[in-house]
Amino acid sequence: MEEIIKTEGLTKSFKLSSKQRKLEQTDKKVKVAVDSLSFSAYRGEIFGLLGPNGAGKTTTLRMLATLIKPDSGSAIICGKSITKEEKEVRKKIGFLTSELKLEEFFTPNYIFDFFCELYGVDKAVAANRKRFLFGKFGIDRFAEVKIANLSTGMKQKVSLVVSIAHDPDLIIFDEPTNGLDVLTAKVVTDFLEELKAGGKTIILSTHIFSLVEKLCDRVGVIIGGKLVALAPLAELTGEKSLEDTFFELYEKTTGEKI
Amino acid sequence: MKNVFTIVKKEFSRFFRDKRMILTVILPGIMIYVIYSLMGTVFANIGATPKDYKPKAYISGAPASMSETLGLVLEVEGGIADVDSAKALVEDGTIDVAVVFPADFEDNYGGVKVPDVEIYFNSAEQNSSFAYNLVASVLGAFTKPAFTINAGGGIYNLASEESSTKQIMSMMVPVLMFALLASACMAVAPESIAGEKERGTMATMLITPVNRSEIALGKILSLTFFALLGGISSFIGVILSLPKLMGSSINLGAVPYGVGEYFMLFGIIISVVLVIISAFSVLSALAKSVKEAGALIGPMMMAVIVLGMVSIFAPSASVGLYAIPLAGSGLAMAAIMSMTASPLGVALAIISNLVVAALLVVLLAFMFKSEKIMFKK
Repeated sequence: MEEIIKTEGLTKSFKLSSKQRKLEQTDKKVKVAVDSLSFSAYRGEIFGLLGPNGAGKTTTLRMLATLIKPDSGSAIICGKSITKEEKEVRKKIGFLTSELKLEEFFTPNYIFDFFCELYGVDKAVAANRKRFLFGKFGIDRFAEVKIANLSTGMKQKVSLVVSIAHDPDLIIFDEPTNGLDVLTAKVVTDFLEELKAGGKTIILSTHIFSLVEKLCDRVGVIIGGKLVALAPLAELTGEKSLEDTFFELYEKTTGEKI
Repeated sequence: MKNVFTIVKKEFSRFFRDKRMILTVILPGIMIYVIYSLMGTVFANIGATPKDYKPKAYISGAPASMSETLGLVLEVEGGIADVDSAKALVEDGTIDVAVVFPADFEDNYGGVKVPDVEIYFNSAEQNSSFAYNLVASVLGAFTKPAFTINAGGGIYNLASEESSTKQIMSMMVPVLMFALLASACMAVAPESIAGEKERGTMATMLITPVNRSEIALGKILSLTFFALLGGISSFIGVILSLPKLMGSSINLGAVPYGVGEYFMLFGIIISVVLVIISAFSVLSALAKSVKEAGALIGPMMMAVIVLGMVSIFAPSASVGLYAIPLAGSGLAMAAIMSMTASPLGVALAIISNLVVAALLVVLLAFMFKSEKIMFKK
């Protein structure tokens, strides 16, 4: 199997301001957000990242997307280093997260073309891809409406198609079904399966256990910045549900009773 | 370079889709023209001689010759009991002026002891002020000065219209241009850099394979155009309203500014905008929100305006000083407007600005790479 992601000892710390220390009820001036994270993901696989808020999922995804640099450790994406070949890595990945927004003055049509230009997608290829993706997600109907005037679900659809406008090998999705109605969420999950069938690798971070159970081949559980479990879904859960497995792991790792 | 063009294209598209931004940039020029023209009209009317107006006056103790002369220009009110009553009437605006000659006026007129004529008036009343000046000038004709100055009726101020206008323009243009360009830069930079950070749209661009320096350059180039648009629109507003505001002391038609002057001025203006917009963009990138960017840029904007005033205090600075970024440009602008600028000095000012702007673009690109600056909440 072709290894699309390989991380080794990926670590990231942040300085805590006095306000943050008070909020997190700690005296420590530095918080280790991600602690020696090592895992691999393969072509045609959907890899789920599960963890509570503040566990380090988003920091991990941001490091993989080259938005922030790790303090130590390494990550290779499609054979390129995230610290030494950032530009090459960015060409290979699509990143969808609620942090990244689209300029509200533009229409989906304009935004899609703009990002295709930035990714260096050939005009004819971009036009075909736009036709396919806009048709798939029903964006044709509002392609010329300003983003500011779209509903949350419509905006999420546009963000999704823009993130994969350049047909990346690795797609990183942080809560991709957030804010979507059940019908649109179904279109998105079906599309993720299609992408997987097309040989794309997907890293999926979500709080929705059912989504992980439905889509993911393997699951990594991050708690307190550490990868506390990594296994194929069936192997991880055994006879139990994913939810029960997760809470058991959480109680065992943190010592907190849920 | 293709990506720089893509960013510039996007910034232009964004600018022209945002009516608020267009108004922010273009409206000041129109407002300046309207307000300055109105101010000029109002100032011209303040203190103007009321046409055919004969002020109402109380005169007491005047010798016959003076009484007769004053009677030609004043409407003398009879029936006022005494000086105190007349003063009360001046105060309430019923009459305009009360002229009181001392009892011993005729005895002392022309003698050693100089008699004092009292003219009571009300400066809050336009007609009363006019009446005071009228009476003072009429009575002044009766005094015998030791000597006169410029009483021959000739033209004594030898400054030509051209040199007066040049002097005014060389003092005003640098100050006005710096203030107007800084305001225009202030209107566009925070929205484009800090605004994109705040809205999360900057991060969306930063995950593309485009170099951060290309994003920085694309932003600076497009913002320079918008700021130029705003600055020049305001400048045109000022220039068009100047004749109304300053009356006869300025006549732009009298100065033979040629293509060379306009070309040099335009070069200086572009380089000044590049420096200001780059500096404001750097500060905007440091800010987490448009509001914070405004607070950071405020003091720097004041500093830029002060730099524009340097030319007033050093009107004949040596060409070497033109190499000081921004401040040298103020000196160069003043020299251009007085038609004494050397192309070498102007080139020096432009080059020094371009060097500083380039360094600031590099700094901005570096800041775009910094996760602490771009992603700190």
